[in-house]
This record gives sequence, C-alpha cells and structure tokens, in this order.
Amino acid sequence: MKPSYGEKAFQAFNYAFMLAASATMLFPLLQMLAVSFSSPEAADSKKVFLLPVEFTMGTWDHVIRSQALWGSFGVTIFITVVGTFLSVLFSLLMAYPLSRKELLIRKPIMFGIVVTMIFNAPMIPYFLTVRELGLMNTIWVLIIPSLIGTFNMIVIRTFLMGIPPELDDSARIDGCNDFGILFRIYLPLSKPVIATVSLFYAVGYWNTFTQAVLFVHDQTKWPLQMRLRAYLQSPEELASVNLFLGDYDFNTTTLKAATILFATIPIVLVYPFLQKYFVKGSLLGSLKG
Amino acid sequence: MMTVRLRRISGREDKRIGTRKRKGRYLENVRKHWMLYVMVLPGILYYIVFKYVPLTGSVIALQDFKILKGIGGSPWVGLDNFRYIFSYHDFYLVLRNTAVIAFYKLIFGFPAPIVLALLFNEIRLMAAKRLAQSLFYLPHFLSWVVVGGIVFELLSNQGIVNVIRGWFGYEPVLFMQTERYFRTIVVLSGIWKGVGWGTIIYLAAIAGVNPNLYEAAVVDGANRFKQTIHITLPTMLPTIVVLFLLDIGNFLELGFDQIFNLLTPMTYSVGDIIETYVYRAGVLQGQYSVTTAIGLFQSVIGFALLWAFNRLARKTEQGLW
Repeated sequence: MKPSYGEKAFQAFNYAFMLAASATMLFPLLQMLAVSFSSPEAADSKKVFLLPVEFTMGTWDHVIRSQALWGSFGVTIFITVVGTFLSVLFSLLMAYPLSRKELLIRKPIMFGIVVTMIFNAPMIPYFLTVRELGLMNTIWVLIIPSLIGTFNMIVIRTFLMGIPPELDDSARIDGCNDFGILFRIYLPLSKPVIATVSLFYAVGYWNTFTQAVLFVHDQTKWPLQMRLRAYLQSPEELASVNLFLGDYDFNTTTLKAATILFATIPIVLVYPFLQKYFVKGSLLGSLKG
Repeated sequence: MMTVRLRRISGREDKRIGTRKRKGRYLENVRKHWMLYVMVLPGILYYIVFKYVPLTGSVIALQDFKILKGIGGSPWVGLDNFRYIFSYHDFYLVLRNTAVIAFYKLIFGFPAPIVLALLFNEIRLMAAKRLAQSLFYLPHFLSWVVVGGIVFELLSNQGIVNVIRGWFGYEPVLFMQTERYFRTIVVLSGIWKGVGWGTIIYLAAIAGVNPNLYEAAVVDGANRFKQTIHITLPTMLPTIVVLFLLDIGNFLELGFDQIFNLLTPMTYSVGDIIETYVYRAGVLQGQYSVTTAIGLFQSVIGFALLWAFNRLARKTEQGLW
C-alpha cells in the first residue's frame, strides 16, 4: 500500500519534532559549556549562544583549583564506589533467600517490603530515627540509610527466580552450601542483572542530595551535589576573591556554568557506553512475576 | 506484569496446616536452611530500622514531641496537632500548592511519555530512533541540583531564553523570580527530565503487540493512525492503568529534590509544597510533631486516592490488587 498524503505529512512532522526535541535534551548542556569557556563580559552581555565568545580557560582554571570542589568530588567517589558495592552485596544477600522456596517466611517478608513501597514514612520521623542512630555528619549517612533499594532488590530477585533450580541440586550434592551456591553459581550467572543494578545504584549515589541536606552539616563531608547547590546559591564563595575588586577572567555566571558541568561531565562521559544496561534493567523489575 | 507480582507476593501462606504441625515444620526448616535465614537477616534489619521504625515513629504526631525527652517522655496531646494544622493558614497554602502542582503534573506529565512512545514507534529509520532515544534518556541521569541549576541559568536575566526574547525585541523577564511562571517551569522541567525514560516501559508494551494484528488491519484498510488508535493504544492500556495508579498513590509526593532546587523565597506563595515546608518547619525549626502530622496527612490522602482509583480501575480493567 502506498503511504497516503497525510501519512507522509505526519512522517515529516514527526522527524522535525524529534529533531527539535532531541536538540533540547542536549542544548542546555552545550550552552553551559559555551558559557563556561566564554569571557565574563561576553557571558553577561547575552552574546553566548552555542559557541564560546572571547574564549578563555580562566573559569575552568579557577574551578579545577578549588580544593573544596575536589574534596566533595572525593566524597562522592567514595560513596559511589563503596555504596554501590555494599548496596549490591546486601541486595543480593536479601534477594537470594527471597527467591528460594525453602525460605518459608519469604511471603510475609515480601509483603512487608511491598507495604513500605505504599506507606512511606514521613520525613520527620525518618530524620529523627537516623539522628538517633548517631549517623549525623558522618559519611556513612549517605550510604547506610539507602543501602537497599526495593526496586533494585526485586529486580535481582526476579532474575534469580528465573535460574533453573536443577543447577543447585548438583552443587548441593557436591557439598556446596547456600553461600557457595549464591556466590559460585548464581552470581556468575547473574552478571547482566548485577551490572544493571550496580549502575542504578551508582547513579543514585552520584546524585545523592536530599540525604546530605538532611544529615550532613559538616562541609568537609559534603557530596558533590550538595557543594554544587551551595555554590549555585552563593557563587561568590567559589570565586573566593572579591570579583568587584580587580579584573578577573571569570565571574559568577561562568563559574556557575562550569560547576554545573563539573558535577555532570562524569555522568555524560560514561552514559553512552552504559546506556543499554540501564534500559534493559528498567524493564526487568516489571516483567516477570 | 506488576499486577501479578503484587498479588502474588502479598498472598498468604496456606492456612490449612495446623499450627502445631506448622511449628515443627518451621523449626526443621530453619535447622536445615539456616544459612538462608542468616542471609536474609541484614535485609530485614535494614527494612525494620529505616522503614518501619520511622513509620511507627509517626506517633509523635499525637505528641508534643521534645527531642530531649524522646517518644517515651513527651506528653501525649491527642489530635491537637491536627487541629492546629487545620486552623493554620500556611497549611492550606502549601496544601493547595501541592495539590495544584500535582494536578498539573498529572494531566501534562503523565500523558507525555505515552505520546512520545507512540511517536518513537512511528520512526522508520532504526538508527534515528536509537539516537533520539539515547538523547531523550540522558536527562534522567542528571540530579535535580544540576537540572535546577541549568534551569536557573537558562532563564536568568542574561540567560539564553532572554537572549532569544531580545532578538524579537521583547524585554527580559525574570522567570524564576516571578510567581506566575513557577508552576509551568516545574511541570516543563519535570517533563524534560523524565519523559524519555518514561517511554521505556510503554515501548516494551508496544513491542509486545502481535504483528499479525497490524497485517490484518492493513488488509481491512486501516491507515497508520487507525492502527495506533485501535491496536497499539489498547495494547498499552493495562500498562497505562498500572502506572497511573502508581502515580496516583504518590499524587502528593512531588519529590523534594525538584521543588527544593527550583524554589526561591520569591515563589513560596505558589511553589512551597508540603515537603519543602516540612523540611523548613520540621528539620530546620524543630517543629517535629506538627510537621509529622502534616506528613501523615499527606500519606493518608495518598493511600485514600490509591484505594479509590484502584476500585475504579477494577471495574473496567485490572487494578493493582
């Protein structure tokens, strides 16, 4: 059947729309990039579009010398690496028994977990609980209270339930216990799902913000997002010099643009390589019973 | 899909087994598979400490809670806190802001990924489709601090939006500091960040359509539009219903991160929502009991909405339970 006139028009519209809409996804980041490499005068006089005007490295030169920013970068790297490892480990440890029929209490446990998805504790009792535990102002408060993500745990459990049980019968005969079965047989088989879940956790930890707002007042333990927020609120602090006294090759506008990118570039750099795992994973949780 | 899972995991153990016999069975089971119980223990502890303890800690809504006295030592005041919030002008303001923004987000934000998924589905060039999808997924991975920062910069006095307005001779507008733009910005930035990622689950539903249906429709003379209306959309409907119900359950939970990073004191009157208010009055000013009462009220409304819409959904389609 030949496409009708209307269908051709629709196709043209669709491609045009997709082109424009996709551009808006990338455009803001490119604009920030252009501003961060522009001179302060150009940035403030509405000249910068998608390419730097009066190109200068001054802003970036200043930003990458910021001790506080690198300190927060370190905190974020730490919670991303250690947090992701611990989260995956404990999610796996919980998901495996819950995928086994031998664990008789698995249904009440799953019920209890699903309840927490529907009834979220209000912010204040949560805040008070974490405070009671003495986690305030420690780096661990950014990891422990978000150790197990229910969605991620269920994703792993769903995957484990799909592994044929005959596999561990033979392992058991060979004298393997449950820990052995989990780490020697199931873990190697679940590499794809572990990769996906690790990525979800890692992005979550990289973007940790609310936890820091609530629990970390000690600036030396601020994660990157928290530091970024502080600098966006008062960029003069990042400037660390009085911008009105003297002639600098950066100002608050270019500094803000560069700091935003500083916190974003790592994600944008790894994203193209890892994208397929994300997409696969987002479907795993909902597909099977 | 989701429906099946929720139903299955909430199912009860077989009740016919007598309790005594059952006890024996449990003991033997624990002895034989004690390692499984050891493995699941840290997880259970996590859920108890970080989910259930705070949930039960909500009783401070019925107290005049003092941090030094703790839950045990603080006096009980019955429903006084609830009476207080319902007589308090600010509460109605944040409740209205929350409800209005939630409503806008639902009517504009919810259909957006459905429409986008259908448009993705019409792209014939696979390479173009994949590229567009990659770009659309990207903002999902940026934090709200970053997105908020970008929004502020783009909409600032010297930002790109005002630059473009300048080309056409319009005066610059301070969007972020003007009340009437705030909610639009919230809805649009929410769509910008989430729409691409939201399509994934719908695209999976579309991929599940039996191609024979389309062939049969073509034989019957249906064009692409009719195929979309009569085949693709009905196939997506169960997914749409489930996601709609999940959205309704979180209706009043707009997400602290987004609003917090877009809000300025200039826009409190239209943008201060329950979560940002609770943060300021509770965490910063220490009005623990009153803000817990507000939080509980929010949870109850959420659950009531979920329950009501679930009933409604069950009449036509399948509900969550």
